[in-house]
Amino acid sequence: MLTLRIAWRNLWRNNRRTAITFAALSLNTAVLIASFALMLGMLDDLVRNATDLVVGQVQVHHPKYRSERSIYDTVIKPGDILQAAASAGIAASPRAYGFGLVSHGKNSAGARFCGVFPEKEKKTVELYKHLLAGNYLPDKPGKKLVLGRKLAKTLEVKVGDEIIVVVQAADGSMGNDIYHVAGILKSMGEGIDRTLAMVHYKDMEDLFALNGTFHEIVLNSSGKMPEDKVAAAILPSAKGNEVMTWRQLMPPLNDMLNAMNGMLILFGAIFFLAAGLGVMNTMLMSTFERIREFGLLKAIGATPWRIIKEVSAEALLLGVASTLAGGAIGTFLAWYFQYHPIDLTGFAPDGISAMGVAMNPEWRATLSPETVWMPIVVMWIISLLAVLWPAVRAARLDPVKALVQV
Amino acid sequence: MKEILGLEAVTKEYGQGDIKVFALKDVSMSVNQGDFLALAGPSGSGKTTMLNLIGGLDRPTHGKVEVDGVDISRLSGGALSRLRLHKIGFVFQAYNLIPVLTAYENAEYVLMLQGASVKERKRKIMSLLKEVGLDGKENRYPRELSGGQQQRVAIARAIAAEPALVLADEPTANVDSKTAKALLDLMERLNTEKGITFIFSTHDPAVMDRARKLVHLKDGKIEEIEEKESKTREPNAD
Ligand SMILES: Nc1ncnc2c1ncn2[C@@H]1O[C@H](COP(=O)(O)OP(=O)(O)O)[C@@H](O)[C@H]1O
Ligand SMILES: [Mg+2]
Repeated sequence: MLTLRIAWRNLWRNNRRTAITFAALSLNTAVLIASFALMLGMLDDLVRNATDLVVGQVQVHHPKYRSERSIYDTVIKPGDILQAAASAGIAASPRAYGFGLVSHGKNSAGARFCGVFPEKEKKTVELYKHLLAGNYLPDKPGKKLVLGRKLAKTLEVKVGDEIIVVVQAADGSMGNDIYHVAGILKSMGEGIDRTLAMVHYKDMEDLFALNGTFHEIVLNSSGKMPEDKVAAAILPSAKGNEVMTWRQLMPPLNDMLNAMNGMLILFGAIFFLAAGLGVMNTMLMSTFERIREFGLLKAIGATPWRIIKEVSAEALLLGVASTLAGGAIGTFLAWYFQYHPIDLTGFAPDGISAMGVAMNPEWRATLSPETVWMPIVVMWIISLLAVLWPAVRAARLDPVKALVQV
Repeated sequence: MKEILGLEAVTKEYGQGDIKVFALKDVSMSVNQGDFLALAGPSGSGKTTMLNLIGGLDRPTHGKVEVDGVDISRLSGGALSRLRLHKIGFVFQAYNLIPVLTAYENAEYVLMLQGASVKERKRKIMSLLKEVGLDGKENRYPRELSGGQQQRVAIARAIAAEPALVLADEPTANVDSKTAKALLDLMERLNTEKGITFIFSTHDPAVMDRARKLVHLKDGKIEEIEEKESKTREPNAD
């Protein structure tokens, strides 16, 4: 097409200026794509750790349980909820909680017991993968314990050690027994590290006289559906209970994610603004140098609209060519950081946790189609917006005056 | 003969208030189809102003400019664009060509504006370039052409659109006398063989001499109109 050919040649009339703008726009696009992918990777990691490790996407409780933590506020009709989850293809794990004392030798500490069915729990969350030592709970009850890291430290226990457990049961009696340490968890955040003592539900039921009741049902589709869909799927069967998504369960994390998203948008806006000013400056200079030519084009019959098209085509070509180059570089960088994550273990050898959520020491980028095409397309739109003023200025030139310019 | 252009009491003023400059003052004349007309006069006499008004690049302060029966002083900007595209061909003194376009593309550009197909453009431009003596130079950029060759491209572009009028503002002022003569030969040949109407301005007596109708301008007024219908053509010196 003649118009594109003209635009391309005009673009390279001033090699140096165009090359600088081209390089700046490419770099801009590459940096945006790579940093968006890294930020998304971090956010994904945060959310996945927040949900997939312990919390799940959705939790069901008795409405009073979360404020009172009473052993008597149990989930209403848990069987219905588990069935609804199963038929929607959502993994679900019922849990029971209770407080008690654990001791080993001269050391003792308060603990929050959590009773689970290990095979269900393992299908729902990935806590079992994060052991510092020993093994996760066996599928069959056997008075085994998995302890939080700091709790194990306080008690000075290692895997296989004996632990004496004393609790107040639901029927008012005192429960006590001897358990053995099956495993110790990695750093999972303060609450878990200091107090968690996981046991098989069947052992817990005996110890606390629970009588088949639960305090919590955790649901997780492991990325198959968003959390509100999960909540909606089980809502009808959870009448009388409180159903909450992880965003409601962990408002600080939710706020932080929103803030990070906001920062990403601001970061992007600064880059886009800089790119737009670059394009505008380049096109203002290049149209200014060609005033006489625009006069000539008008004299031989070019309409203002035609001139707007020609000038815009230059900016669009510049934008498209440079963002494609920059897009390729950015995509490569994002791809590279997806498979070669940035290693953060040097900063925190024991693992990192932020706002009670454990983070992977490996910072991995998430390369999604959106992180590539969105910055590129926005850059095209910016190029077109930035050229508007120079183009309209060129189109509105008075041919008689323009023709006497040199 | 058919009248192709008529000026009726045309005045063009520049500036406002006390510092008014009359570039043209109460000018009337008419041009017929097939004329080969020169606007002659010293620098500042109003030649460029007159050509700009005829070509619809500018509007008169008073009076009427009729091109092919249409009063163009009242046309909108868009209509003037169309008029320039379809009815007028322009050749300027210098810098006539778009530097990033080849000789071929410079001439092709107008046809593209007119919406002609690539094939039609090719057929027309190749024969036109041959006609103006630029065989084999189609793919040269303006900077690779001599001043005379550049003016030939400009002439080819001006006639490509098959306009009613070709307006040439001092087309030979920037070339040596031999080249000037060759360009005039070309214009004259296009005029006699194809019937294209030319109006060109000049302050060079040797160039004025070639016109068949000569309009003498001075201080924005027509001093004299000379008809030289019986003038015999010199042999082609190109
Ligand atoms: N844009 C303008 N503003 C003010 N005066 C102008 C303008 N254009 C031309 N003039 C004046 O109009 C007169 C005629 O100019 P012009 O038509 O360019 O003459 P020529 O082409 O014969 O040299 C001159 O006095 C010139 O100074
Ligand atoms: Mg002049």
